[in-house]
Amino acid sequence: MGLTDLMSMAKPNMDARENFLSKLSSREFVNCFQCLKCTSGCTALKLLELKPHEIVKLVNLGFVDELASSDIIWTCVTCLKCVQRCPQKASPYHIIMVLRNMAVEKEAQIPEEYLKTVSRILETGLAEAPQEVTTRKMEVFDRKSLNLPKITFPRESFQVAFMKIMEEK
Amino acid sequence: MPRIGVYVCHCGLNIAGVVDVEKVTEYAEKLQDVIVAKHYVYMCSETGQRMVKEDIKAHNLDRIVIATCSPRMHEETFRRTVAEAGLNPYLLEIVNLREHVSWVHSEEPEKATEKAKDLVKMGVARVKLLQPLEKRRVSVEKNVLVVGGGIAGIQASLDLADAGFRVYLVEKAPSIGGRMAQLDKTFPTLDCSACILTPKMVDAARHPNIILLTNSEVTNVSGFVGNYEVSIVKKPRYVDEEKCVGCELCTQVCPVKVPDKFNEGLSQTHAISIYSPYAVPKIAIINPNHCLRLKYDKDVCGKCLEACEAKAINFEQQPEEFRLKVGAIILAVGAEIFDASKMPELRYKQCKNVVSNIEFERILNASGPTKGEIINPQNGAVPKTLVFVQCVGSRDKRFHEHCCRVGCMTTLKQAILVRERLGENVKIYVCFNDMRAFGKGYDEFYRRARELDIDFVAGLPSDIRSAPEGSLYFDVYDKGTNKLLEIKPDLIVLASGMVPNTDLEKLSALFHVSRSNDGFLLEAHPKLRPLESLTAGIFIAGSCQGPKDIPDTVAQASGAAAKVIDLLAKDVIELEPLTAVIDKNLCSGCQICEPICPFLAIETKTEIVEGTEKAKAKVIEAMCQGCGLCVSACPTKAIKMQHYTDEQFLAQVKACCSERR
Repeated sequence: MGLTDLMSMAKPNMDARENFLSKLSSREFVNCFQCLKCTSGCTALKLLELKPHEIVKLVNLGFVDELASSDIIWTCVTCLKCVQRCPQKASPYHIIMVLRNMAVEKEAQIPEEYLKTVSRILETGLAEAPQEVTTRKMEVFDRKSLNLPKITFPRESFQVAFMKIMEEK
Repeated sequence: MPRIGVYVCHCGLNIAGVVDVEKVTEYAEKLQDVIVAKHYVYMCSETGQRMVKEDIKAHNLDRIVIATCSPRMHEETFRRTVAEAGLNPYLLEIVNLREHVSWVHSEEPEKATEKAKDLVKMGVARVKLLQPLEKRRVSVEKNVLVVGGGIAGIQASLDLADAGFRVYLVEKAPSIGGRMAQLDKTFPTLDCSACILTPKMVDAARHPNIILLTNSEVTNVSGFVGNYEVSIVKKPRYVDEEKCVGCELCTQVCPVKVPDKFNEGLSQTHAISIYSPYAVPKIAIINPNHCLRLKYDKDVCGKCLEACEAKAINFEQQPEEFRLKVGAIILAVGAEIFDASKMPELRYKQCKNVVSNIEFERILNASGPTKGEIINPQNGAVPKTLVFVQCVGSRDKRFHEHCCRVGCMTTLKQAILVRERLGENVKIYVCFNDMRAFGKGYDEFYRRARELDIDFVAGLPSDIRSAPEGSLYFDVYDKGTNKLLEIKPDLIVLASGMVPNTDLEKLSALFHVSRSNDGFLLEAHPKLRPLESLTAGIFIAGSCQGPKDIPDTVAQASGAAAKVIDLLAKDVIELEPLTAVIDKNLCSGCQICEPICPFLAIETKTEIVEGTEKAKAKVIEAMCQGCGLCVSACPTKAIKMQHYTDEQFLAQVKACCSERR
């Protein structure tokens, strides 16, 4: 391979790329023509410097390994805007999801928040626990004060089924 | 016994790179009745053809099989070759080893070689049963129908009329001119669109050989090359064309306001109006959907009736139908502009200050809704920051995969015009993906835009947002600087692409012409027959065949006109003899075939057979297109397709299924 990343001296790993491709349901993302719509609209770009077009380009060039161990893949907030807007149906979202799965397989460090989310789902059945909100006038609102229905928490059978799915996957 | 020659073509490496042509030739040599089998690098070359001709004479061959590319490519070539050697041209069989074998089985050369052998064996089996046929000769009508009065239709009509042919130019709208009439300037020379178009419009209207049928549509087409019969319906204008002088007194008194189609709905006209300032013919037309009298009651309003000094208004006018005989047809119905409201994230139609490029063209034009003043349609103010967004609806798998071919150049032109008219203080940004400036003088035009301080941002916005007070803003990541930029423009112009005309679905059925995957009309061959449809005698010109700019459209229109002249210059043309024939003795007169024929080529006549009257079907040879529908429908097998008989097909099937020697 004649390609080298002069910043890190890394070389592309085409086998890893093939392995990566086999995990995607379509190869459409090779059609990416770098129009940058995904990055222009990326919810995670401003705070977390996620540039989805770069991820697509890096995978296309074969720099899969460094991505799988990179923190950047965990910054996607899965708003799916890029899936909606991509003119080539080559959205980076599906790539990011495969990269995350690879990171888990490799037992790379997973941000703590993700593990917390899993345990929250197990406990409450929700990705985010019901919160109290304080306004600028220091008024406190919760579901009850807003007349929202009470949330029921899952039964034990849900937790067992959930754990079973987690183990199978 | 037949004496057959088999020739296997390498087509350079196209066939020989996959198929073992030597083995196929050796195999062919051993087949029964094959006298000569040879292979050669390019059978279609002069040398290849000469080889066939010499062999026919030397070996007294009477049937030829050529295993080469698709018959659509070179069947005619090789028919001429065998005819020159004195054989009937229909004693030739083409075996397709390229499209059907080497190109589709390039990864399995051994299996491909086996398939090639089978196909050659089938070809040899069929060629033995072929019959000599003679071409049909028919006379031609010297008239031409041109559908669509845009620049393509006008150019083709003028060329044909100058060559001495009578042209019927049919236009759906009340005026000819088409899209080009709506444009302000043309790239890359910036000459005024109307200034170069209107003289041609007037020429077309005045030409003694051109009969202009505006506000008209083709409703029926029958016949065949050289002898088409078409029906055209001229919709009522409710204004007498002979009397109207185009003074516009009527429009001034009409109380009903209607969105102006010519100005893309950006301004209003009246229920009685003249289509555009340079309409040809300059005759008023009443919109029956809006006119109070036509819509409600024949006693109301009638103000135009009073105002018209020429007494031209006639509410009783009815549609008129014309039936014409023409030798050839040119389809030049143009394209439509992509409706950007299909992409709600761009806020088109939601915000008035997001406009399409065709709307902006009207805004730029002196006869447009703003009299040529560049203003923000939302608040009427002169914009300080303009953004052009490229590739809207084009190069987008969700909508249209094709490149619109004019979006980049249109944007460059419009950006340059804005800079020229609003001066250097206005900021102009172009958000693009690839800038495509490929024509003569186009890249120089792109450079001119850059020299005029038009800023090019290499990235497309994901979405455009609007603030409550009406201003727009969006984020765009620029490839050049690797920065996320926010831009707040007063006016956004979307480079909406050219998309297939919605009428094409109807037209393709009406004229029996096919469409390609992108929805545009399909040419007979993308490189070698770009001006013809697959139906003989029907030609295509302009953006109905694919997105095109004006230079390409005019070139294609003149080309199509030349093709028509080539066809109609002869008094008699030859047609393929591939028609259905009916065996009278087997025909039971059941009349199943008659309604099935899409070309109305079968008629049933009573004949006296052995003293009793019997119905017998008869093929009108000149009308038969050889589609074979009647053959498969006939319950008594009385109908036979010449050159494609059941016996010939079954011989191929038998050869395919038999054990290889």
